[in-house]
Amino acid sequence: MRETVRFRAFMRVALILITTTVLVSTAVAAARDMPVTCRIETDRDVLPTGGPQKVVLKVTLDAAPVEATKRTSVNLSLVLDRSGSMAGVKLEKAIEAAVQALRRLGPKDIFSVVIFDHEVETIVPAQSASNTESIERRIRGIRSRGSTGLFAGVSQSAAEVRKNLSGKFVHRIILLSDGIANVGPSSPDDLGRLGRALLKEDITVTTVGVGMDYNEDLMTRLAQNSDGNSYFVESGANIPRIFSSELGDVLSVAAKKVRIIIECPKGVRPVRIIGREGRIKAEHVELSMHQLYGGQKKFALVEVEVPEGTEGQVTEIASARVSYENPFTGDTGSLTSPAKATFSGDTERVKKSVNIAVERDYQLNLNALSQERAVALSDEGKTREAIRELQGATLRLREVGKRINDAALLEKAAEMERQSSQIEREGMTAKDRKVLQTDGFQLRNQQLNR
Amino acid sequence: MKIRSIVVYWLFILVPTLAVAVAMVRLLTLERDRIVQQASSVALDRAKSIADALQVTVETVEANLGDALREIPPDRVLETLQGWQENNPLVRNVFIWRSGTGLVYPQRDRSGTVEEKQFVLRYHALFSGRQQWPGADGSSSETRSSASQDLPGRTAVPGLAPQQDSRQSFVQEMQRLQTGAQQLANLARPKIEKSGQRAVAAYASPDSGGWIPWFAENRLYILGWVGSRSTGWVYGLELEVVTLLSQLVAHFPATAPEGLAYALVDGQGQVVHQTGNPPQEKGRKPALGVSLSPQLPHWQVVVHTTGNRPGTESARAFLILGCMLVAIFVLAVGLGGSMLTRQAHRNMKDALQKTSFVSNVSHEFKTPLTTIRMYAELLSEGRIKDPEKGRHYLNVIAEESRRLTRMVNNVLDFSRLEQGRKTYRIEDLDLAECVRHILEVHRLRVQEAGMALETEIPDAAVCVRADRDAMDQVVLNLVDNAVKYAAAGAELRLILRQHGDHAEMRVSDRGPGIPASHRSRVFEKFHRVDDSLTAQQQGCGLGLNIARRIMGDLGGDVLYEPRDGGGSTFIVRVPIRASETCGPDRA
Repeated sequence: MRETVRFRAFMRVALILITTTVLVSTAVAAARDMPVTCRIETDRDVLPTGGPQKVVLKVTLDAAPVEATKRTSVNLSLVLDRSGSMAGVKLEKAIEAAVQALRRLGPKDIFSVVIFDHEVETIVPAQSASNTESIERRIRGIRSRGSTGLFAGVSQSAAEVRKNLSGKFVHRIILLSDGIANVGPSSPDDLGRLGRALLKEDITVTTVGVGMDYNEDLMTRLAQNSDGNSYFVESGANIPRIFSSELGDVLSVAAKKVRIIIECPKGVRPVRIIGREGRIKAEHVELSMHQLYGGQKKFALVEVEVPEGTEGQVTEIASARVSYENPFTGDTGSLTSPAKATFSGDTERVKKSVNIAVERDYQLNLNALSQERAVALSDEGKTREAIRELQGATLRLREVGKRINDAALLEKAAEMERQSSQIEREGMTAKDRKVLQTDGFQLRNQQLNR
Repeated sequence: MKIRSIVVYWLFILVPTLAVAVAMVRLLTLERDRIVQQASSVALDRAKSIADALQVTVETVEANLGDALREIPPDRVLETLQGWQENNPLVRNVFIWRSGTGLVYPQRDRSGTVEEKQFVLRYHALFSGRQQWPGADGSSSETRSSASQDLPGRTAVPGLAPQQDSRQSFVQEMQRLQTGAQQLANLARPKIEKSGQRAVAAYASPDSGGWIPWFAENRLYILGWVGSRSTGWVYGLELEVVTLLSQLVAHFPATAPEGLAYALVDGQGQVVHQTGNPPQEKGRKPALGVSLSPQLPHWQVVVHTTGNRPGTESARAFLILGCMLVAIFVLAVGLGGSMLTRQAHRNMKDALQKTSFVSNVSHEFKTPLTTIRMYAELLSEGRIKDPEKGRHYLNVIAEESRRLTRMVNNVLDFSRLEQGRKTYRIEDLDLAECVRHILEVHRLRVQEAGMALETEIPDAAVCVRADRDAMDQVVLNLVDNAVKYAAAGAELRLILRQHGDHAEMRVSDRGPGIPASHRSRVFEKFHRVDDSLTAQQQGCGLGLNIARRIMGDLGGDVLYEPRDGGGSTFIVRVPIRASETCGPDRA
């Protein structure tokens, strides 16, 4: 009898173990098959009772790391500025970087190189990246000359990418320039629209501005509208590192055509999107991200207005619906995640419920917008107002940083203070402008700087 | 040969040659101008072809998008348009408008993007009803829907360049443009999801439509629309000009012919794209321009010349080459003419010299022959009784015979030398001994001519390697020459010396000498200082020529120099043989 009891106990434990193993395995497998996870948070879990109030929503997309052996083929086109100003170290390093990028690609990848001055020349038409010797020889033969026809260079590069415009590739253009576009359409608006149009064709443009003379507005707008990255390198020496970082992103795309729809229940009104472009409709917000890279977290911040609540009321603020395309299988996936909050009249409880990570990202994004406004004011010759804008942003960062006791915000506030003091002393230099513009863009884009 | 004859001959050669040359240069100049003109015409035709291709491409895009607008199912208009706006790179904005109501989409509330708000502002005049939709009043503004059949590649490519390579590359460039046009045409056919539902009456059957080039803030925008006159609904899209340009630019000819640059210029005169190296100076007008209206109003494809006009380089090269050929022609004719004239002149001179030579030789022969015949007749008739006198006559006959023999020998030697048949019996020779022997033989004759013979001949042997008879002939000719022309000087000096690697024999007299103008020609055959038949001294002008040619054959030379104090000196140089003893070759 005792043996029967022991046997039953043993069988029960075994059954539990087997069930647990099966469940864990299934969960792991599910997690592995799911390249993206979604999380929606609010800046506070507990909202004060009373009149309508502003709540910040943060939708975070977390892309799982991509195995090195399992990656999407890349259709990469490099657009190199070979105008006279690139002569010397800048062009040498650009060539070196291009060769290194080529060597990192495999036979299944497509590679092309377009160079431009006042004219455009396709020195390596789109072809398999296996023919490295001959491609390398052609890249090393690039010599500097002429002026800067950036629009035509990107257009020609896009034409090379279009030769293999199928879904199985990650299409990427990397533009490197050190000058101000002076041939063809050359306003940030024109290039931004070109970037937007290319994004519709699934082509992303990453821009690398070298030195102090390039037009950072144009370069960041082009990258921003095509959902690419933007870099500022002060000297040519950093170009290979930037290329390597960018190629790291390109080679680890985990999800494509990501679309986020934040739906708000009745009474909750979307107010504005922070740091990203999107569309606000009556009760929902539409956002899109072109690509997510393995191991990367990308988020979107939205301000919503929540109506009055009563003590203890639990209310749904919003739910996020995310759809994306798996670059390996071509299948589409979707996720949903809700965000809830409780109303309370206890101020201390409300204060304690602050989500520091959401508040930090919100403040940093607001700060990036302030930086952009400061740049715009400075461009209009309103240096005083620009400094005031930066100082205001600094005060806000410091105040919030102290309130939530966040070292990152305080550190950023100190950096902003240094920056605004320097601008007050010396005016806004070309370097300041580039740093503010590019940093702001990188922050809003959650660009990975490996 | 008279100068006048030469001038006449030259005129006959030169005048027609120069006339032909002038005519050729004139033709070449005309041809050069024609090449330049043709190159300009080719450049214009190419620009027209590019402009045509661009126009047809834009027209095709507009036609395809217009067709797509018409094909939208009436119940899916907003959804379809929004889909295009989101996914089609050629669509910048979309709209729905209704007469009386105004703009239905995009809404002017907070849901619109910044771009949409700017779009609404841009076309405010149209959307507010201040400006009528073109053609909405009943006039037709239908877009041609068959434009897609006129893709650039299907249009004829006029004005091809004369060079095959250039033409091929141009055709390739046009194919490139055609590829771009095809890609754009495909983009301009957005997907339309068919509806299974019945048509909503409000949007039913668009019966008008078209494209409006719209200028705002100094920029060109293009709005396409379709509408129904009966219901007052109008919907459409704004073309993304940047996409259009980007694709056109990428397929614009990548190269321009040498000396040319093509540029696509917008309505503000700004260069949108260029091929080649256009001049950098501001305000420089293009050589040619072709308008892209009406699809892209005020836009142009322009042709710039870089440096020179099109074709100038090839035309210049052609002219230079042509002129060089003309110069070679004139030079060849001139050279040939002068050679012929010179040859004729020489032949004529030779003929005259030979005539003179024959006369002189006949005369030379006649004198001794007359003497010989006269004395021989006297002796044969037995009228000379005095034996002494008879011997004298016989001696005279013998002497004249020897003279005759020498003359014949000279003529024969000359003939052999001329024909290259003269043979020598080369041996080691003591020149001193040889000269002493010759002088011994001819001493009497020299003295009889009234000349004192002075010699300076070394006792030691002067060894040379020469032909004894030839050396005899040379010395004899020089001595004869002195006796003949310098007897009045009463002096004949012969000095033999050894100078380094050669022996030098100087034969000097105190005769009249040779005038400076004749010195360079005194060794030419038949040349005589006075070659008239009435000359005081007879001769055939061969002695010195033979002497020099013989010495030349023996490795030496004969030179002339005027003698100090008057007279002539002839210098004979003979290479010395490096040997201590002279005489016939010894084993």
